[in-house]
Amino acid sequence: MSASLERGLNAFKGQIDAPVAAFFSSCVRCGLCAEACLFYTETDDPTLTPIHKLEPLRRVWRQEYTFWGKLAKAVGLSKPVTDEELTEWEPLVYDSCTMCGRCSMVCPVGNEIAYMIRKMREGMAAAGHAPTDLIGATQRAVTIGSPMGVKLPALQAQIRHAEAELGFSIPVDVEGADYMLLLSSMEIMNFPEFISAIARIFKHANVSWTISSEAFEATNSGIQIGVSEIAAELVERIVTAAGKLKVKSVISPECGHAYMAIRWEGPNLIGRPYDFKVVHILELLDELREQGRLQTTGKETQRLTYHDPCQISRRGGVVQQPRNLIDMVAGDFVEMPETGTMNWCCGAGGGVSANERADELRLQVFKRKKKQLDAIHPDALVSACSNCRIYLEDGLEENGMDMPVLSLTETIAEHLAGSEQPGSKD
Amino acid sequence: MTRINNDSEFRIALDALDPARQRQVAARFVENVLALCSDERIARVLRVAGNSESSEDALAEALKTARATTFDCHTRCGSEGDWAEQAGYFVARAATAALTPIGQMPSGPAWQAALSSRMAQTSQSIVTGDDTAGQESNQQYRILSEFLES
Repeated sequence: MSASLERGLNAFKGQIDAPVAAFFSSCVRCGLCAEACLFYTETDDPTLTPIHKLEPLRRVWRQEYTFWGKLAKAVGLSKPVTDEELTEWEPLVYDSCTMCGRCSMVCPVGNEIAYMIRKMREGMAAAGHAPTDLIGATQRAVTIGSPMGVKLPALQAQIRHAEAELGFSIPVDVEGADYMLLLSSMEIMNFPEFISAIARIFKHANVSWTISSEAFEATNSGIQIGVSEIAAELVERIVTAAGKLKVKSVISPECGHAYMAIRWEGPNLIGRPYDFKVVHILELLDELREQGRLQTTGKETQRLTYHDPCQISRRGGVVQQPRNLIDMVAGDFVEMPETGTMNWCCGAGGGVSANERADELRLQVFKRKKKQLDAIHPDALVSACSNCRIYLEDGLEENGMDMPVLSLTETIAEHLAGSEQPGSKD
Repeated sequence: MTRINNDSEFRIALDALDPARQRQVAARFVENVLALCSDERIARVLRVAGNSESSEDALAEALKTARATTFDCHTRCGSEGDWAEQAGYFVARAATAALTPIGQMPSGPAWQAALSSRMAQTSQSIVTGDDTAGQESNQQYRILSEFLES
């Protein structure tokens, strides 16, 4: 057995906690998870059945933690997990699963399959079976602080650009602010208008906020690749910065997995509760709406629909807030056939978009989103995750669908009442 | 000559233009930063966008090309970013905005094309280290002023 395989199998063993053991022993092999997974429904490939993606982990559980499995292993009747099998499983675990959690919603015995995939990735990474692209992203996240290599001077340039557009300052390193805003590298690089949209809204609503120059990155590559030590280190950087600036809350931006990482996994990763609250930007905007601090003017006349980012809606619980916000600015809103907690993934989450090897499959499974959209024929698609946004654009383009994809936060900012708009006509 | 001096006047003037004129002036904003994009498709689509005689079919085809170029130029989530290439992405995005029908873009195609062109210049400034914030805006004010006079 190679050292890396041994490391991987030990990592598998270490990952098998009570929930994982309970889930494996509860699985009745009904196959319902297959019908909930777009990678199966759009390919009809049985190897892409969610529970099948966990087969090496299941075998380790059986051989190491069950009476009959241990006995079979002792008398040489069970097949050990091999390096070749892990090579075979790598695309199943990383390319064909976005950890969207839809499978978990339909499991009749309540198995959290996405949680198990997350656990399995720990073993796969330890065994050296993680995609090269994700390894590179993770290394950059550790050494530079951003999976895309975004350094502070680049953020500062984007902030200066936004300030020139806005005509007022964006707060950086302000001690004692109520909120510390995180940004994803995707936003800084591909959608920097998000920064000015937030600044306009917060000025309008009189929100006390800041960006930390020491920890501005929201994403967590450690979670995507499956290395908890790195994931914990990335969370610690945010915790340290929030403590230094003495903020009351940290805002997760329009990025799905960043929210999952900082809000739900973070305290468990670092082994202690935070001294601050974590809110998703849509949660905060909806709070401001409820308090009457967010006022908009005018409505979109085009027919809008909302794509629920899986980690924000299904796994994060932020389902009603975006709808409340859309209601402020949409004159014609229509839901997709399956939406909210049962929405279909864009196909690019969970590190799939970072993995070039998965491109062809990602576009193939986009057919599911196409079917949803074909059922309602919207003019534009609104979402709240920059990763979803760019890969929805790709899928729409690939399928010849003429439909812009809009950021919900930016759309709200565009409709702000008062004079916070650059070049406002109010 | 109508002189535009700030974003407020700039945006009011843009919004007063009919869709075809918005598209044409947006094309001029993008042309001003075209050198930052190495993809030749953008120069072609700008010729269509800037031409008052372009047919609906030609505009639709140009938009399709601009969108495809934008996606091809974007920095993939998790991959190492190159700000010089990113400038090209924003030029492509600006061209896409210029060609997008007015009803599909809440902020207006010309305004969005202007913003994306500024972002292209900002991306380039990250490469060079120069502080160019505001410079592209001033050039756009001039372009629009001249366009309104033409």
